[in-house]
Amino acid sequence: MPTIFFMRSLVKVVPAAILMVVLCGPATAGQKDGFKVNDPHYGEVLFNFYQQEYFTALTDLLVSRDFNRLIHHQAEAALLEGGLLLSWGQHEEADQIFERLLSNTDDQAVRDRTWFYLGKVRYQRGYVDAAEQAFLNIRQPLPLELDAERLNLLARVYIDQERYSAAAAVLSGWEGPEIWLNYARYNLGVALVRMGQLEAGAELLSQVGTIWAYDEEQLALRDRANLALGFAYLQAGLEGNAKPILQRVRLNGPFSNKALLGAGWADSANNDYHKALAPWQELNRRELLDSAVQESLLAVPYAFSQLDAEPQAAEYYARALNIFDAEIVRLDVAMDDMGNGQLITDLLDQDQSSAGGWYWQLASLPNDDRARYLYFAIADHNFHEGLKSYRDLMSLGEHLDVWQTKLSTYHDMLNTRKNAYSKRLPILNERIAEFDVVEMQASYEDLQQRTTAARNEHDVLALATASEQEQWRRISLLEDNITWSQQESAALREKQSILKGLLLWNMEREFNIRAWHQDKQIEKLGEEINKTVRNFTSIDTTVGGIPETVFEFDSRIAFLQLNLDQMKRKLQLAKERHATYLYGLVVGEMQAQRKRLVSYRAQARFALASIYDRLSMKGQ
Amino acid sequence: MGVWDLKRFLFLGIVVLLAVYSLAVGAENDFQTLDQETQELKSAVLELNRDLSMLEEELLYPANTQVAVFVSMDVGEYFALDSVEITLDGKNVSNYLYTEREVNALHRGGVHKIFIGNLKVGEHELVAIFTGIGPHDRDYRRGASLTFSKNIGAKYVELMISDREQNLQPEFIVREWE
Repeated sequence: MPTIFFMRSLVKVVPAAILMVVLCGPATAGQKDGFKVNDPHYGEVLFNFYQQEYFTALTDLLVSRDFNRLIHHQAEAALLEGGLLLSWGQHEEADQIFERLLSNTDDQAVRDRTWFYLGKVRYQRGYVDAAEQAFLNIRQPLPLELDAERLNLLARVYIDQERYSAAAAVLSGWEGPEIWLNYARYNLGVALVRMGQLEAGAELLSQVGTIWAYDEEQLALRDRANLALGFAYLQAGLEGNAKPILQRVRLNGPFSNKALLGAGWADSANNDYHKALAPWQELNRRELLDSAVQESLLAVPYAFSQLDAEPQAAEYYARALNIFDAEIVRLDVAMDDMGNGQLITDLLDQDQSSAGGWYWQLASLPNDDRARYLYFAIADHNFHEGLKSYRDLMSLGEHLDVWQTKLSTYHDMLNTRKNAYSKRLPILNERIAEFDVVEMQASYEDLQQRTTAARNEHDVLALATASEQEQWRRISLLEDNITWSQQESAALREKQSILKGLLLWNMEREFNIRAWHQDKQIEKLGEEINKTVRNFTSIDTTVGGIPETVFEFDSRIAFLQLNLDQMKRKLQLAKERHATYLYGLVVGEMQAQRKRLVSYRAQARFALASIYDRLSMKGQ
Repeated sequence: MGVWDLKRFLFLGIVVLLAVYSLAVGAENDFQTLDQETQELKSAVLELNRDLSMLEEELLYPANTQVAVFVSMDVGEYFALDSVEITLDGKNVSNYLYTEREVNALHRGGVHKIFIGNLKVGEHELVAIFTGIGPHDRDYRRGASLTFSKNIGAKYVELMISDREQNLQPEFIVREWE
């Protein structure tokens, strides 16, 4: 499965690549990823996204969108949401968002590229049929490299679906970049062999098996091609052809055990047991949990027995028996030690990484005997994906625990607020009640009317100063005196008349200015009164709304608390299901291992007994 | 033992491979069911987290009094950011030390919300001190300030680290986010 191998190195860039393709168009090296950020909260989402904090970024995005803070980035935000969901492992939801958005996009190139990445992601997640659908949605040729990858992925989809002729039809006659050409040849070769066309398949696999490889990926591809072809020859009974092919596989590569075993088979099929011993004895020294190594423990004594070296054969069978016995005991102890949930906890205890989602990979294994067996389980795609999901769930659970504490604090905070309000509100309400807006307005209107009347009637006295009004009153009082009309008061009357005239002249002179000032002051007073009324109304409304606000928060907290409790229970159940599933995978692998060991042990016993029989017959 | 035994080896190998394959197919189906459940659950938690975050913000930082300060970077080649210190009306409200990952996120166009709080309506003064490594690998510490008016409604302030190409120096700008 070269594509899976290859995708492991590429999958990290997929969500980011989708965003680059959809949001920014083709990216160039050194280019700033984004564009101008016009809403700070959108930039905040990007800040978390670039740090692979997908959950935080997604939450920020949803919150900001609900608060209407992404006005300038609405379209990008929707696409970013899809990319973030994909990064967080929510490929179904991301799919829906992309499909909805892309159905509204006219740019066919953007749509095709997005379908390509979606197909790739789906294939990686094991959704083979959905991946095929995504690849088939691509309408126009993609850029050369992407198109080459698309064809190879589609062929892999067909091979996984056991539709070999469809895979062959996709790749037959295809020409493209060299690196992809090799994958295409390999995939086509495998498809042809499985269709029974060994000769045609062998030609292609042989081409890949002799490429000049310059990196680990290419070396692995070359090894795989040789291994596949070697075993195809062995199965077809063409052992002579198989050996040179299997010898091309590197001795220190991941496929070397199987190649060594196959090479021994090829020699033994040609009755050349001396030669067969070399690869099998090399295998004997390797890690026992590999089935090829286990098989080699039987193959070596078998070769000796074929060479009539019965004592050596007996010795090696006895050795194999001891090794199988010891391993079965070790396996049983390890299975007992696995302990359902404990195993997963131990695994994650080793994990120091903080990044979630797809990028996460288990850094190390527990430092005990279980590690040997887990090593094989963890290499399994499903196990690793399941463990990642478990870890996500665990992290969400921890996150909800934090909220649990916070909600409790907010609840207390609201209670404190309620208590404070219950003390302050009556005093405030009393002050509000004392404030008579109607009376204030009436006084103001009366003042306004009096000023208008004074102006209309030219009432200079009404606008006089307080001292002038007092002087006027005192001068006028003289006229009420009983002696006022008498002869002896004539000089006084004349004096009073002069003073009164002077006072009146002064008031007359100031009248217009005073009237203007009075108008201005009344206007200003009106504004002040309006402001005061507004402030009081606002205070009144706020104070009146306090219980409502507090109760609204109260009910929201109660609802969220309920939701939170429910969610924590669901998370716990999901975690348990994951732990059971993962435990099942590990134990399943271990049980298969045990079954195989028991079967090999039985064969070793039988073969050893046969040798002893033959030796005793010879002795007689 | 002869060819028959060899075939038995091969047969055994094929049986084991088939058993592993059928196990793998079963596990694949289990995984997909589990994966779908997980996705649904994660989606529900995300929704809950959104509601909780909104509640928190409305409760602690109501829109009328809210003030938030953001740090952004435009190029920033002449300055390697270490930390930012913020003083609001003479009171230190934030001291933030940046990690390499965060600085990288800023370089790529991310914007960091360094402070969120509440302010009364009226005039306020914000002072930001930027610390890091400047041109010629020297320790660099610069301040920038802004006097702004807070009205009813949220106020966002941006602290932008930029490059002044003319004299090959970094530039620190504090402004109201427009």
